[in-house]
Amino acid sequence: MSGEIGFSLDGARMTAIEGQSIAGALIAAGVISWRRTRFDDRPRGIFCGIGACFDCLITVNGEPNVRACLAQVRDGDRVERQEGTGYGA
Amino acid sequence: MARDCDVAVIGAGAAGVAASVVAARSGCRVTLIDVGDRPGGQYYRGADLSSLPSAGLDYAALASDLDRLVAANAVDYRPRTTAYALERAGQRLRVRTRGEARQGRLGRPAGPDRHRADVDVIDAGTVVLATGAFDRPLPFPGWTLPGVMTGGGAQSLVKGQHVLPGRRVVVAGTGPFLLAVAATLLEHGAEVAAVVEANDPVVGSVRQLRGLTSGLGKAGDLGRFIAALARHRVPYLRRHRVVEALGDDRVTGVRLARVDADWHPIPGTERVIECDAVSVGFGFVAQLDLAAQLGARTIRGADGGLAVEVDDDQATSVPGLLAAGETTGIGGVEAARVEGLVAGATAAVMSDRASALTPAALERVRREVARWRRFAAGLHATFPVRDGWVDSVREDTLVCRCEEVPVSRVRESVALGARDARTVKLLSRAGMGWCQGRMCAAAVDGICGFDDIASLRGASYRPVAVPVPLGALASEQVEG
Repeated sequence: MSGEIGFSLDGARMTAIEGQSIAGALIAAGVISWRRTRFDDRPRGIFCGIGACFDCLITVNGEPNVRACLAQVRDGDRVERQEGTGYGA
Repeated sequence: MARDCDVAVIGAGAAGVAASVVAARSGCRVTLIDVGDRPGGQYYRGADLSSLPSAGLDYAALASDLDRLVAANAVDYRPRTTAYALERAGQRLRVRTRGEARQGRLGRPAGPDRHRADVDVIDAGTVVLATGAFDRPLPFPGWTLPGVMTGGGAQSLVKGQHVLPGRRVVVAGTGPFLLAVAATLLEHGAEVAAVVEANDPVVGSVRQLRGLTSGLGKAGDLGRFIAALARHRVPYLRRHRVVEALGDDRVTGVRLARVDADWHPIPGTERVIECDAVSVGFGFVAQLDLAAQLGARTIRGADGGLAVEVDDDQATSVPGLLAAGETTGIGGVEAARVEGLVAGATAAVMSDRASALTPAALERVRREVARWRRFAAGLHATFPVRDGWVDSVREDTLVCRCEEVPVSRVRESVALGARDARTVKLLSRAGMGWCQGRMCAAAVDGICGFDDIASLRGASYRPVAVPVPLGALASEQVEG
């Protein structure tokens, strides 16, 4: 990990360290949940942290259901909190 | 067209790295597939090993060997790639992969072809399954609150991301891994409010514990963990369990209780500890999806969980399929490394190459496999999961995090006649979501009182190991 990069969360500018996962960058910024569940509308963030549980799903550059714990954040990424399935109502 | 190689190794943890190095050193064309960014798996996480003394067949030596072999194109290393299916292709085995990290990335083709670049097909004479394990979570009220995560999750944040999960963390569950997680948190500046261990490992002596747990990591790890706890005056609460995580939209504390030997809470012993993160784990579950797809024979490992059956050569019941490390039973990083060495030697012989490991070296490695396996058995006997955890769940506690299925619906399925986890899934949807039951299968068995291995086997069968877009499957059909 080295340089600082920029990305956005729901349009707000954020910074991350190059090589960080999306989850790592968000938690470093104090954001610990970024998905709301389909049925009970409850907040979720990271749980297993290694790609097994799929709780940390997030929308990246328009594509929903990306595992935030695995996907590295890249400079210019547009990251959005995910509601339900991530494909709209 | 499928790419062809002699040996495909799935997973680049200690087992996969060892197998790849031995097979490639023996002259095999090796493809190494791994979901991570760098080799090392969950234990090493691509750590800088240059300060470690390295000689012979230890991990640091193997990892630097791998770097050289990758640079020399002797190993086709594919990071950030998930193997989602394993199948027969004539006399060979076929691995279907997807490059996960390219998901959602700028610059990918739009429209129906957008998944095409993500998928690949690799044929191999021999496949080494080294897919490791994930934490075994057990449900309790509040376990879905943000801030509650598995021990592996906490470890991956701190070691992999250099980010603390919280300022004040409670580490709970059972096993020596709790101590490892607590030590990592302390080393990186978090406060550990308590380590909450449901078993009572110090009935014997600390020396015995150290002997047992050296199987989990490098010798001396445990002494370092215990010293860190003592230095920071972290209470190690044995025979205690977290019976509830408290909070509304994020965890703000836990309710603890003393428990008896079977983990039933003792009335009147509850108290609350404030924290902003909780790390929980009750041992590990082997990642067996690909083995199950081919029908490899499975058994109960020493910890009671499902494991692939292997012989002394690390061969499974499926011709051409080898397995090493946690997939053959949870045994820790050193067991994984030595099993990987044996698997690499077997893969070389199966590819008609002379093994790079001499017969004498192979014999020494086999003795090490037996030794680490004995350690693992002792460990699992010290840190079992006891039935009393079920006392803490309520009717509305979620069992399946993905499909949001509460305990009441799981119990209804049993009332309707379900006698295994798979039937519970069909009736209640517990296990039918994104994770395909990885997080809830053990809990379903516990809540329903199922103890038949058939229930575990049914729950671990996943025809597609991770979700793959239909567009990706369709593009693969055209190409394959």
